[in-house]
Amino acid sequence: MTASRSIALAIAVSLTILSANRGMAADSERGAELAATCAACHRLDGRDKGIPSIVGMDTEKFIGAMADFRSGARSSSIMHAVALSFSDAEIAALAEYLAAQPKETKR
Amino acid sequence: MTWTRRKFSGFAGASLVAALGARAASSQTKARVVVIGGGIGGATVAKYLATSTATLDVTLIEPKQLYTTCFFSNLYLAGVRSLESLTHDYETLARQYGIKVIHDTAAAIDPVAKKVALAGGAKLSYDRAVVAPGIAFKYGVIEGYDEAATQIIPHAWNAGPQTELLRRQLESMEDGGVFVIVAPPDPFRCPPGPYERASLVAYYFKQFKPRAKILILDAKDTFFEQDLFEDGWNRHYPGMIEWLPGQFTGGIKSVDVKTRAIRTAGETFNASVANIIPAQVAGELAQRAGLADQSGWCPIDPMTFESKLQPGIHVIGDATSAGDMPKSAFVANSQAKACAFAIAAALTGSDQIAPHLFNTCFTLLAPNDAVSDAIVFKPQAGSIKITDIFFSPLGESGEARRQAAHQADGWYAAFINDVFG
Repeated sequence: MTASRSIALAIAVSLTILSANRGMAADSERGAELAATCAACHRLDGRDKGIPSIVGMDTEKFIGAMADFRSGARSSSIMHAVALSFSDAEIAALAEYLAAQPKETKR
Repeated sequence: MTWTRRKFSGFAGASLVAALGARAASSQTKARVVVIGGGIGGATVAKYLATSTATLDVTLIEPKQLYTTCFFSNLYLAGVRSLESLTHDYETLARQYGIKVIHDTAAAIDPVAKKVALAGGAKLSYDRAVVAPGIAFKYGVIEGYDEAATQIIPHAWNAGPQTELLRRQLESMEDGGVFVIVAPPDPFRCPPGPYERASLVAYYFKQFKPRAKILILDAKDTFFEQDLFEDGWNRHYPGMIEWLPGQFTGGIKSVDVKTRAIRTAGETFNASVANIIPAQVAGELAQRAGLADQSGWCPIDPMTFESKLQPGIHVIGDATSAGDMPKSAFVANSQAKACAFAIAAALTGSDQIAPHLFNTCFTLLAPNDAVSDAIVFKPQAGSIKITDIFFSPLGESGEARRQAAHQADGWYAAFINDVFG
């Protein structure tokens, strides 16, 4: 292996790592942008008063709840509207993002 | 990993290096965004720009030190909530998010030189500006109702001293008096607002002045959630509230401020206490900066909220002409987020995602009887259209309405935390 080839390989490897990180960062950024919609009613610091907290929520539980709001199995006109407006992929991205947010411990 | 995928990664990585280079070069001179107006739209856009992954220099210009929300101020008129509980400051935005909050008035915007001139003399350069001026009142449409008249007959449609003045007048009104609300023509800030005001003032009268009456003189022939309101009025305040549509009165023509006599095309009504909510247009700066069209409101791009009249300047909130979107704090907050993400994407050269635009509203028929609505919007054919709309049904259980009132309280706290916290 020549020096130039090994440098080229090293660059290729580091670029791959960079792009993987970029993918994760982009997902998280997308999750944050989608969660901005939720933040108009649900406090994302984990506190709640009248409106339930959704941070640190299990992804399956979140996706199931959104499916129930969308179908009307769980009744709430506001959440029905929200669940209808998000795609399945967006709900999955939101679930990942919200699950990764820390729950508030102090009250 | 396949070769194709690796090759693709390589390209993606290369473009990332280029993007990082661009960001590093710009970090000496961070892109500057100047936000004018510290209401719900302005405060939200400033916060979401400041927390964006794009590193931006964000300045918020707002003359007042404190902001009192107009939404929920009808609860103050009802005597169940203090004005202090509706008043918020800009300290967290400045301290926690590094937003430069300048308490001054924007005197002019030069869209070519990209500079904002402040009344105090300073000039601020921007890469992007966001203007969130709220509403201005069209005085003189009702003859005799000008700015000076608001000191005697309040509009109370910007919260603060006007709301306090109206509360004092309601408190000192004799039992058996008539409170007249003049409701404005469309479009105006908070479509259910005048009727929620009638409901919550009736709640106060029922306890303290049970012989008092409320008369709503409307410029319109119908109003938002009319069936829900009329049902609530019949249940809670039978015989107390009367609503007269524009087609009945022929329109509100003039007011004698001293005697509180309000003249319509047909009859003249004498009020013990009056509240005139005038017709509205986009806030004054929008008019001066050439952001408003002949309608008096600001046309915007439905994806980015960039002005259709002045490139590089975005307009959000009540001042916009945004298709089907009503003028509400929730809409201003929703637009502000879409606008912040669009600006961050434009300044970093990344793709903008399709915005999610919503309106949610809790309306109180009584402090323990709330209804809600939820509306979904989508950018469509250069405008913004409603795709779904849901209302609380008539004949809901008292328990459901009590729960909604409890949620409304929780919503207020969470929403304020989203905007100012």
